[in-house]
Amino acid sequence: MSHSAVLSSRIRLARNYEDLPFDATREGVAATCVSRTANALALSGEDRGFRLLTMSALGEEGRMLLAESHLISQDLTRFPDSAVLLRDEDRVSVMMGEEDHLRIQALSPGLQLSETAARCFAVDDALSRQVRFAYDPQLGYLTAFPTDTGTGMRASLLMHLPMLAHHKQMGSVGQIAAKVGLTARGFYGEGSEALGDIYLISNQVTLGRTEDEIIATVTALGEQLTGMEAELRAHAIKERRLSTEDRIWRAWGIMKNARLLPLNEFYGLWSSLRLGTVLGKLDVDLDILDTLPVEAQDAHLRAGSPVGLTGEALDAARARRVRSLIQPHRFTS
Amino acid sequence: MLCEECNTNEARFAVTMKINGEARVRHLCAECMQALNPSFRTGNVAGVLAAILSAITAGERGGEGGEKPEEAVPDITCPKCGTTYAAFHRSGRLGCPGCYVAFREQLQPMLQQIHGRVQHAGRLPLDNAEAQRSRTRQEELTRLMQQAVALEDFETAAQLRDQIHALAAEGGDPT
Repeated sequence: MSHSAVLSSRIRLARNYEDLPFDATREGVAATCVSRTANALALSGEDRGFRLLTMSALGEEGRMLLAESHLISQDLTRFPDSAVLLRDEDRVSVMMGEEDHLRIQALSPGLQLSETAARCFAVDDALSRQVRFAYDPQLGYLTAFPTDTGTGMRASLLMHLPMLAHHKQMGSVGQIAAKVGLTARGFYGEGSEALGDIYLISNQVTLGRTEDEIIATVTALGEQLTGMEAELRAHAIKERRLSTEDRIWRAWGIMKNARLLPLNEFYGLWSSLRLGTVLGKLDVDLDILDTLPVEAQDAHLRAGSPVGLTGEALDAARARRVRSLIQPHRFTS
Repeated sequence: MLCEECNTNEARFAVTMKINGEARVRHLCAECMQALNPSFRTGNVAGVLAAILSAITAGERGGEGGEKPEEAVPDITCPKCGTTYAAFHRSGRLGCPGCYVAFREQLQPMLQQIHGRVQHAGRLPLDNAEAQRSRTRQEELTRLMQQAVALEDFETAAQLRDQIHALAAEGGDPT
């Protein structure tokens, strides 16, 4: 019952070269970012484990696969001359030629923003021994958007909050978050949608606070939301046991039997399944369950198929993938 | 003036909205702004910036309504990259690090609005190779100066001190 609602932690640092225009679509800008950064990392001796992948060489499917895995941003895929230095082992990416010249990113499972940030800072330090980043003593790191100026750091938590969403509390969560310089928004879906009840909590304020302060604020909200969610889950099982269990078992039934699974429907069912697992109603491996929102996406399904998948074939592949991954379980109620 | 939506709070934002296909400027308080403008919820950077920009423009004009925000856009061009302030005003995106110098006066209140503070408090870049060499050279000169002082060779010490100061001024390093 004490399972954290935090699925993963992410840190992203924006850095720019002081002598280049921000716009990576301008002639030579992205290419300079790529060669300069790759050289600097090699010279620093910190390049072990990194591989260089250019967007053009990756192709459409390769780019989508990395974006679905959150290893690169959707933005990076839009710039043809951009590239990423990727260290798969601990999921560190240095995106080059994005909205900012560099976005140094690290991902970790669960709630561990400080450890994740340390990996980004190590790369940042290694690079800044070799190159000069745009920096101003008053304003800190200078970025393409004034919303990132200062630390250039975005600390984010991906959270599964089905009960807060069920009680329609995410609006007020967003308002509370805004008061401390944070945002809370749906991660999957268009506009205000939050498919799978998955939310991204991150700092909005980047200037005037230290990285540690920002991390502490995001972590505190993450812990608070985990606590609130746990309380509401306990309440649901006590006061609305039948309807809560019904939701979980229906989702189980469909996930185990559906032959066609559109992505939007998948997210809703996944949320109920994870809720059931965390509540101890279902005995599904939580680690496997937590890989599903990525594994069930289009490019991942296409990567596992010898033929190109579209439309109904994609929904069928998704249903197969989900059925094979959520394996035997025992009934606990 | 009061917020046109709730008629209770002071209006802080002047927002151009498309209502039935017709563009209208509405004056809203922060709460109604947040409730109405989906950009605040979706994290749409350009939308938020546009709203903040119009708020600042309104503030500079004493918060009086009626005028179009575009009229107050100053005519400045970044000498480094050629980005105009008007272009930044439209896109929310700066052209190069030099824009922070060129648009400093306009950026300060905007950064204050976004972040609540305008003094960086976080990490600093480690000095680049050139600055590092300069620092090593300064350290070496300081050592030589201390040696000269110990040997009571004050003339050499004074020369070395001047060299250290010159290096420090070059590198922008006060030490």
